Amino acid sequence: MSDSPPRTELRRALDWGKLAPLRLHAKSVADGVYAGGHRSRRRGAGIEFGGQRNYVPGDDLRFIDRHALLRHGHLLVRQFETETDRTLCLLIDASASMSFRGDGAPAPKYAFAALIAAALTKIAVGSGDRVSLDWFGGERTVELATAGGREAFERVVGALETAQPSSDLHMDLRALERAVARVERRALRGSSVVVLSDLIDLPDGAIEAVSALGVRGKTLVALRVLDPTELSFPFTGPVHLRAVEGETRVETDAASARPAYLAALAAQAHAWSERLVARNGSLIQASTSDDPVRTVRNVLDALAGRA
Amino acid sequence: MSFLVAAALGVGLFVVIPIAAHLLRRGRVRERAFPPAALVLAARSSARERARVEDRLLLLLRALVIVCLALIGATPFVRCSRLSLARTSGASVAFALVLDDSHSMRAEGAGGTRFERAARAARELLASAREGDAIAIVLAGKPARLALAATTDLSAARRALAELSESDRSTDLDGAVGLARSTLAGMPQHDKRVVVLSDLAAGPLPEGQPPLSVPVPELTNLRENCGICWAERHGRRIEAQVACTSAAAASGRTLSLTGSKGAASVALSARSGVQELGLDADPKLERPELELNGGDSLASDDHSAVAAESAALGVAVVADAANASAETGGAPVLEQALAALQSNALVHPLALLPDDPSELHGSALVLLDDPGGITPEARSALSAFVEQGGVAVAFLGPRAEQTPLGATLEPFVHGALHWESTKAAGLDDSSLSWLGPEAASARELGLHGRAGLAAADLLGAKVLATFSDHQPFLSERTLGRGAIFTVALPTSLEPSDFPLRPAFLALLDYFVREASTRRGVTQSIAGSEWLFPANANVAVDGPRGKLAPSEHAAAGGAQKAFTPGLAGRYVVHIDDKREDRVVTLEASELTTLPQKPPNSAALAREGGAAGRVDASPELGFIVLLLLGLELGLRAYRRRARDRATSAPARLSRAG
Repeated sequence: MSDSPPRTELRRALDWGKLAPLRLHAKSVADGVYAGGHRSRRRGAGIEFGGQRNYVPGDDLRFIDRHALLRHGHLLVRQFETETDRTLCLLIDASASMSFRGDGAPAPKYAFAALIAAALTKIAVGSGDRVSLDWFGGERTVELATAGGREAFERVVGALETAQPSSDLHMDLRALERAVARVERRALRGSSVVVLSDLIDLPDGAIEAVSALGVRGKTLVALRVLDPTELSFPFTGPVHLRAVEGETRVETDAASARPAYLAALAAQAHAWSERLVARNGSLIQASTSDDPVRTVRNVLDALAGRA
Repeated sequence: MSFLVAAALGVGLFVVIPIAAHLLRRGRVRERAFPPAALVLAARSSARERARVEDRLLLLLRALVIVCLALIGATPFVRCSRLSLARTSGASVAFALVLDDSHSMRAEGAGGTRFERAARAARELLASAREGDAIAIVLAGKPARLALAATTDLSAARRALAELSESDRSTDLDGAVGLARSTLAGMPQHDKRVVVLSDLAAGPLPEGQPPLSVPVPELTNLRENCGICWAERHGRRIEAQVACTSAAAASGRTLSLTGSKGAASVALSARSGVQELGLDADPKLERPELELNGGDSLASDDHSAVAAESAALGVAVVADAANASAETGGAPVLEQALAALQSNALVHPLALLPDDPSELHGSALVLLDDPGGITPEARSALSAFVEQGGVAVAFLGPRAEQTPLGATLEPFVHGALHWESTKAAGLDDSSLSWLGPEAASARELGLHGRAGLAAADLLGAKVLATFSDHQPFLSERTLGRGAIFTVALPTSLEPSDFPLRPAFLALLDYFVREASTRRGVTQSIAGSEWLFPANANVAVDGPRGKLAPSEHAAAGGAQKAFTPGLAGRYVVHIDDKREDRVVTLEASELTTLPQKPPNSAALAREGGAAGRVDASPELGFIVLLLLGLELGLRAYRRRARDRATSAPARLSRAG
């Protein structure tokens, strides 16, 4: 855990844009998403019937719906909802690229990710679930062990406000692996893991490392937060671009480079998505100009397997 | 250059501002932070290239706008190659354009012929004229003509200018300048100018007011040329006159018949000036033409039609050598006087007036000295000759009253004529003033007798001159296309000493010119007028098609006139008769070299007709155009940027 600098200094260091103050915005977003008790969405063995789904090899034969098999000839598996609590593990990218804020964007990527994380925390805590917070990259980051209750939300918000996105991770796979290992230790079977990152400038092997969080009964959702500039590449004429992490510098003609860039961005997202889906996970892409409420809903839907 | 001009032109230095901005902008593209830069492909060369092209276009437009603004500030002080009227006081100007349309103006130069350059200069001057300016156009081809009387109608001046064309006339710069000055004399404008657009291949420019301006001095640049002035056929022989501007122009050139293979040719002497050459030709060759080999600045005069044998003016003289000769002997006085005129007339002495009209075919003028009566056959032949354009002159003497039976003096006078003594001292010189200053010499003639001409005897003829007692001395009567003159004195020295007076030679010269004009010589100088009776059906086909006739007011009534301005062969149809005529060049037009404009004309040019152009309207229009282009280019770039911005959004939505 790093030392906490004075709050005012941190707020000067990161421009939160239209998303400040985080606490109020997070509550507002959470209220917009979900009002009332949160039901754990884990399906499986339990008390209350939760629906049916097609049988897939490996399913427990005890849960095959015999009546449906006899009546329709289809192999269906009966699902039940369990009234158990579930841990929400947040893994946030605080590398330097997350501090990027393009022209016209409401806030840096980190601020948007922090808002979503805070809103998810608020919702989870409101549902009686516990929350943990881990980082990869950044300065003055505060890792929070699994905790629940109102204090957990306050601690998460405080940690989110304290962190400073700065470090260069594009060659540091070890740092990422250490963060993933911490999450793995905290996340038990049935936990939900939400990774908030731009998935840019990550070291080679980052996909494998992150997707490993989706095993052992955990639900993994990666929320990719991008700036509108990164999504549209709105430049014209000759441009000289510099990566925030690493030494990459590119001089190009915007119009001619745009199609290839967008294709590369889409290919990168596809690679992440493909890998995460294979590990019982999913990828959600969001822009900092998107409605945070909708984004949180998308995350929750993905955690519930409806995405 | 005044301070204002320097200051205005100094604005042009601001052109460095867009250039510096361009260089600074081009020097370095601003670096932007962009996290996924690793996903962007580098395309440095195309990006630079495109930026360079667009930036250069914008730079060019902006620099041009600044330059134009500087010029607008400096005009009308800035000099321009285009001619315009400089206005010292801003008031209206009356100017006469003396446009030389002579043969020498057809010489080719770098930018076309001299005439084309002069016409272009005239158009430029006209373009700078304003409402209220008066313009006259005078042509300096001989004879000088007024192509457009002074007018303030600029469109009429432009139309008149557009209709002008070059010709093969000689140069009559003196007459043209005089005509221009007299045209401007009555104009109310205070500022009057005479602009001479000529190669000045003539005598010195006449002094006077308004001063002359020679705005296109390059017209006087020497251009080497040799040309065929005229060519005549005499049986098997063809004689030609060739004139060259210099020895270099004549060197190595030969004269030969056009289109006849193996025909003899004759080399020109390598010298400047006029030289006469002869060639043998097949007598059966119809309408031969001559050509000069090689090339020079004026190609049109390297070819020439050959005139028929009877090209020279034929003069038939019917005189009794015994009575009409001087006591010292020799040829009759008339023949000697004709020789003294040096008119190149071909004299045919005749003992009797022929009875057959064909015998007078080669003559244009018949002079009868003291005829003793004209037989009906001869009278018929003479009338036919006159009706076809001939001129007949009878110098009546003592034999006029001795006409034999059946013979009369018609068509000169009607009835019997008496030779009478007189107390008149001589002629009434005031009645003979149209002859010129020589008329005074006929005031005292020592008369011993005269033919008594009564008005009734003259068959309606017009009396042109009288004796001092107002009795008719000279009468003229038009008959058909010709004219009949009756003189009341013979050429013998016994009744008077009139043949010894200059007035006699002047009168004889008048008859020759009248015959030349009326009959129309088969060979004439370009610009000479051909006259025909007003009621004759005449058509003239020339090198450039049919000639348009004009009315010519003459003493005997209006006549139809044609003025061939181009050298070459012409076909004249007079009623049912066809004539071939050849128009030639005057040798002096070829040999007279251009002269540099005098200093006075150059000074006039500085402050006169040529000089500074107010190009503000054109420059203003250019500035607007450039600004429009820049706005268009910027809009295009903005559109391209918007399109580039919206495309990814569409893509992402579609995704």
